[in-house]
Amino acid sequence: MADDKPDVARLVDEAAKAIGLPIAPEYRANVILNYERSLMIARPLLEVELDDELTPGPVFRP
Amino acid sequence: MSTHRTGDPLSKAATAAEIARAVSHDKVKASAVIEAALKRIAAAEPAVNAFTDIVADRARKRAAEVDAGKHHRGPLAGVPFAVKNLFDIEGLPTRAGSKINVDGPKAARDGALIRRLEAAGAILVGGLNMGEYAYDFTGENAHYGPSRNPRDTTRMTGGSSGGSGAAVAAGEVPLALGSDTNGSIRVPSSLCGLFGLKPTYGRLSRAGSFPFVDAFDHLGPIARSTEDLALAFDAMQGADPDDPVCTHLPPEPTLPHLGEGIGGLRIAIAGDYFARGGEPEAFEAVATVAKALDAAKTVVLPQAAAARAAAYIITAIEGAQLHLPRLRTRPQDFDPDTRERFMAGALLPGAWYVKAQRFRRHYRANVLKIFDEADIVLAPATPCTAPKLGQVMMKLGGVELPVRANLGLFTQPISFIGLPVVVAPLQRPGGLPIGVQIIAKPYNERAALRVAAFLQAQGVASAPPA
Repeated sequence: MADDKPDVARLVDEAAKAIGLPIAPEYRANVILNYERSLMIARPLLEVELDDELTPGPVFRP
Repeated sequence: MSTHRTGDPLSKAATAAEIARAVSHDKVKASAVIEAALKRIAAAEPAVNAFTDIVADRARKRAAEVDAGKHHRGPLAGVPFAVKNLFDIEGLPTRAGSKINVDGPKAARDGALIRRLEAAGAILVGGLNMGEYAYDFTGENAHYGPSRNPRDTTRMTGGSSGGSGAAVAAGEVPLALGSDTNGSIRVPSSLCGLFGLKPTYGRLSRAGSFPFVDAFDHLGPIARSTEDLALAFDAMQGADPDDPVCTHLPPEPTLPHLGEGIGGLRIAIAGDYFARGGEPEAFEAVATVAKALDAAKTVVLPQAAAARAAAYIITAIEGAQLHLPRLRTRPQDFDPDTRERFMAGALLPGAWYVKAQRFRRHYRANVLKIFDEADIVLAPATPCTAPKLGQVMMKLGGVELPVRANLGLFTQPISFIGLPVVVAPLQRPGGLPIGVQIIAKPYNERAALRVAAFLQAQGVASAPPA
């Protein structure tokens, strides 16, 4: 399944471009490292299955 | 509880309650208390670096007014206190640990909780060091230097309320305010060996404080006794239209109930996630507290690992969104230890954020069921004692992990759903202190404080100045 592994460096470069966030070359490696860390930490959440009826908790009161 | 000691109100060991009693009974002038505090601050700062701003003139003026009877001598009469520098202090820029904010406007008025403490007679002496924009568990800061742990100044205070932990543990002030989004009151309370209270989400107004993650931002006190936590908490409660999250529930005083002991409270220990992934001292501390409370039952907070992941994702995305304009225009002025984490957070998928928020509701419903069978749940506050300053990696349960992301391992799944927590500190002879989380159901700060007060009265938990 090695092919399923995202190309985080490319993802970071393209997403940063898309949202207009310049990332200087000296910051880039660490941004990629932190993105990879987030992918790892997020895993237990992403594996959870939620019912469609489960809406978020916050309530906006106009 | 035997808290009515009559120690020297001018000493570094004096608690807020002792000072207030002495000032109220004209045993000592508020001015003398403030001068003694300013002297201690001047002496300790080179070693601990807790303060970024000292408002000596303001404090002296206020103390003179208290002495002249200009202000009602409230329950905190003459008590010097300091606040994490994300609280607005009138006339100062609200640093929030950053260099960038110093170029921003000066605060037009004090934050709501400063106003409430001063209305109870307390006297603000300054603003405290913190991790940049509160995105921190270490207490380190590239702009202002790290706050240093008074128990061992080669070690971290924990963060992000690092200056709050350092100032109280060093005996500079008996009381400090901090903020806690993922653990930023509880981590420094544990590593500096102090009592800390993270109230229920929405219990205390956040008006006039610099935000980080609105979904989880809490404010609260750090002190060296449970009586001081209760005094401060009671003085700060109450609705505030300036914070849309602040509860409309009436204040529930905790101080009158502090000495009621643990009779009638069902106390359980958090198992599973909260019983692994830390160093032995974290679990030994929980066992010591459980024994003192005669607690043996174990409960499981289901999906705590997913809760921690969800808290991490919401924090990364909300925090990054808040700072995106500054990341675009002034990246070079960020602390290198926050900049690239914020940048990465700005690029995470929005779907993750919404899933994390949906999961939050699911997790809340399941965890609240636990409180049908227990009033209090015990868990470690930190997975280890204070790491060395500058330490990047640490071994937890045999696994090498980054310090920054993991000091809040046990605090994140609790603040994620806004449960109130008191940290009870255990001093370890020949070793560094470590704290235990005393977790209650929403709005039951009273029960958590009662348990902490019992542990203090039994001599199990204590927080002498370093």
